[in-house]
Amino acid sequence: MRISDRRFALFLMTPAALFLAVFVAYPLFRLVADSFFKISPIAGGPRDFVGFENYFRAFASEAFMGAGWRTLAYTAVVVTLEFALGLGMALLFTTLGRKSQVWRTVFLYPLMIAPIVAGLLWKFLMIDNFGLIGTLLHQAGILNDPNQIGWLSDPDIVLFSVAIPDIWLTTSFMCLVLFAGLQNIPGDLIEAARLDGARAPALLFRIILPLLRPVIAVALVVRGIDAARAFDTILIQTNGGPQSASETMSLLIYRTMIRFGDPGLASAMGTIYLLAMLGVAFFAVATIWRPGKDN
Amino acid sequence: MSTRKTISRFAVIGGICTAVALAATGCGAGGPSSTGGAANSTVNVLVEAGGHAELTGVAEQCKKDAGVNVNFVELPYDGMFNRLSSEFSSGNVSFDVAALDSVWLPSFKDAVQPIDELFTDEAKKDIFPALVKEANVDGHFIGMPAWTNAEIILYRKDLFEDPKNKADFKAKYGYELAAPTTWKQYQDISAFFTRDGMYGTDVKGAVETEWLAHVLQAGSPMVLDADGKVIVDNAAHKEALDFYTSLVKSAPSGAAQVDWAAAQNLFNQGKTAMTRFWAHAYRQIPKDSPVAGKVGAAAMIGGSAGVAGVPGPWYLSVPKATKNTEAAKKFVKCAYDYNSMGIESSLGLAARISAFEKYQDKPGYESFKPLIETLNGKATATRPATAKWQQIVDTVLIPTLQKAVAGGDSAALLADAKKQIEALLK
Amino acid sequence: MRTVDSSPRGHAADGATNRPQQAGVVLPLASAVQTERRGEPLAAPAVRKPRRRRHHAEGLEAGKRSTRALLWILLAVAMVLYGFPFLYLLFTSFKTPIDTIAVPPTILPKEWTLENYANALGRNGVLASFINSAQTAVISTLLSLVLAVPAAYGITRYKTPSGRVFIMAALVTRMVPPVAIGIPLAGMMSSVGLADTPIALSIAHTTISLPLSIWLMSSFFEAVPRDLEEAATVDGCSRLGALWRVVIPVVSGGIAVTAIFAFLASWNEFLFALLMTAIRSQTTPVVIANFQTQFGLDWGSMTALAAVYSIPVILLTLLLQRKIVAGMTLGAVKG
Repeated sequence: MRISDRRFALFLMTPAALFLAVFVAYPLFRLVADSFFKISPIAGGPRDFVGFENYFRAFASEAFMGAGWRTLAYTAVVVTLEFALGLGMALLFTTLGRKSQVWRTVFLYPLMIAPIVAGLLWKFLMIDNFGLIGTLLHQAGILNDPNQIGWLSDPDIVLFSVAIPDIWLTTSFMCLVLFAGLQNIPGDLIEAARLDGARAPALLFRIILPLLRPVIAVALVVRGIDAARAFDTILIQTNGGPQSASETMSLLIYRTMIRFGDPGLASAMGTIYLLAMLGVAFFAVATIWRPGKDN
Repeated sequence: MSTRKTISRFAVIGGICTAVALAATGCGAGGPSSTGGAANSTVNVLVEAGGHAELTGVAEQCKKDAGVNVNFVELPYDGMFNRLSSEFSSGNVSFDVAALDSVWLPSFKDAVQPIDELFTDEAKKDIFPALVKEANVDGHFIGMPAWTNAEIILYRKDLFEDPKNKADFKAKYGYELAAPTTWKQYQDISAFFTRDGMYGTDVKGAVETEWLAHVLQAGSPMVLDADGKVIVDNAAHKEALDFYTSLVKSAPSGAAQVDWAAAQNLFNQGKTAMTRFWAHAYRQIPKDSPVAGKVGAAAMIGGSAGVAGVPGPWYLSVPKATKNTEAAKKFVKCAYDYNSMGIESSLGLAARISAFEKYQDKPGYESFKPLIETLNGKATATRPATAKWQQIVDTVLIPTLQKAVAGGDSAALLADAKKQIEALLK
Repeated sequence: MRTVDSSPRGHAADGATNRPQQAGVVLPLASAVQTERRGEPLAAPAVRKPRRRRHHAEGLEAGKRSTRALLWILLAVAMVLYGFPFLYLLFTSFKTPIDTIAVPPTILPKEWTLENYANALGRNGVLASFINSAQTAVISTLLSLVLAVPAAYGITRYKTPSGRVFIMAALVTRMVPPVAIGIPLAGMMSSVGLADTPIALSIAHTTISLPLSIWLMSSFFEAVPRDLEEAATVDGCSRLGALWRVVIPVVSGGIAVTAIFAFLASWNEFLFALLMTAIRSQTTPVVIANFQTQFGLDWGSMTALAAVYSIPVILLTLLLQRKIVAGMTLGAVKG
């Protein structure tokens, strides 16, 4: 009755695999299938096969290409800032040692806040006329007028403004991960470098960051994927506006599917988006991760 | 703590949680659990916030008269359209009656049932003619108007009646300070009151209906003409857009994202001297707001084609996919019979002419006469009935407005808008 | 059991340098976690140093007084900036409704009131949504654990190629934007009559938390030495028995961490809830978003409800912070 190890392993993995097959693979399959049809928004309506037409329409549409670039820009901004701030905080906590442990704990709290709540909160802080940030900056003398910066109403900066809640929420995560990584750097190495006369910047760039590379790599890839999929915060802050300046791919797909009633086109967009993400993620994993393995 | 104790603790907690959770798995905690099959007389009514208030009184009456229990599901405007879209597209609806914005009727006409039997001759006479026309799509009545609305002028009576203001205004502009009736007067008064941290009016860049009302006032149908041609770049549209953006200098900043809620808040906080707003806002001014008791109401201003407003009626419709058609139609009938109850609600509106006439002279309802005047305006018309209207609004009209209030060239923007709308309608 | 615990794996922070690199830096971190959990021998070296050099820097620690002072100030500034938004949320929830939209806005309430809480919680459907959120989160967490624990064990213990494929599949699942599978899932659920039920939403939430759960559990399983099961099977236990009776108790902490993350993922989820719930199973995040109506920005009620929804979770986190820290670092590293 003793089945082979391999069989046993398979047996253990089957429930999860089945679950993913039914509830993730199958809907994805439906998504890809739907992308080849023109589907009526009302149930029971016509469903016509149109081949690649939805894909052509997607690539030809300014909204789609714009959303693509915006998503890229958004992801870049979020991950960069999150990483920089997270690293800064992690270094801060490390250099302050055990005494700052309490604060490290407190720093965790934004992770527990729902993105939708964070989005509403920051909308409230940044909205014109009622937002606190403008007023505070004005009182501090930095701005001439509380509404000088249209955080959420100026199409040129809105994409960066809606990134703020996302960054606020996830800096803790980066900080934690990097902090843990920093903990593992052998103290002797640092001591040795110090004795050799290395100053702080050199210490950081020549020793710490390279040692942290595997950790950084994973964190960046994971967070990059999450940032590209961002939806809740942006939806609630600006609903994609003004003038679609904050409309990322997730929002565009949502709108096209639900608001404009074009499930076929939305499915095509979703498929393209998924393929793009897969491509970028695998590329990132291949380039960043591999070298890290030979540590 | 030893691992064994931890395990047993987790096991107990886990066990209890599982038991409770699984026991209640089928039914969510919200709403009455629909027992499917047997046609029970409980109806789920999908409404938007204002609608909820409007129909609460009706629901109580309906329970007494027709024995129909009503369960309201409230959603915000955008959320409601999205919910309707996704439920109609899946074919499974969670509601038996839905309050639809008039612009949605063309999009959802295939998903709702005809309710011709409720539109008796008497009913047709008591409902505003434009609404009767709108409710009839492809030869059948698919929605019963529950309430209608239009934008009117709300202004700070206290500021307008202040002697110093009156004197200064007369000196500067040469006519008496009073509620504006023309575009020029609106501009003058707005400029006059923009001082000392206050603004004359607001400019709403995030919503399109107000601009469309001005288009009507300038003498053109909105966006599409009677044959379905796109006329968004004609002279009237440009005039209206120029008028709209001319007020930016007398309005608070951030116009591109100012929507109904923001504008209403600004007025209630005393930051704007006048606002063009939906009539219900008059009765919704909070008692503890700085402007309570100081507000006057006047009909919408008139352009070269006279006074005009865009009616914003909401219709009650019954989806084809519901299992409670009988009870649903009963509720819709109740809503018609007790339509005047809506006036007592916080939204304070109705759809029947008789209902409005009953209340228009009562204190506290000073907004009604202006509302009726606006609704009866010569140039008042409903929005085009196209299934793509929501998309036109979201992807063309609003971005055009936002660009215009940020300082774009109106002729160029409108020409661009025309191209985009034509592409959408192809 | 004790002998196994004190194996060389458990010690010292310099485990990093003499561990064979198997999967990135999982093992060193895992060992760091175990060290932390067992009363932090990391502190031990510091104690050994003479007292008068108490502030002697350990590796990266700042030594000079002035540097430390500067760093503390920086930390204080960071904490204030970081914590302020939520504090503002709390303050706003205690203002009167008209005060919440005052122009210009204020930080502290002019007058403290519980009106917003009364409005928010008294509104139809709000309390029901709490129950729904809790129900959905619990079911989803349990489902996630039940599926992930065996799968992770299978992957880590028996390095089969199918295991590797499975990990890749889980990674791909993580990349799927919820908006892409939300509608098909909703359609599937309604076609089996489960439209608008907590179980449907739980399943959707599990698709989100399952990849992370598998990864987390994999990391935790990696850190458990094989000797444990070997000892058990030698004693006559079946493989399953070994798993259930021996390994799982050891990683119970890890299971707790995974449970917390799965719970949070479900508790705070919005998009699936928006797409798949209607009346009976609506969860609180959707209710919070719905306060933004066309006819009013009800900030007061919104902040009150958001506070009530977030605070229990925050408190729970702070209580269990150690476990959460451990989980996060492992999860991130394993990717």
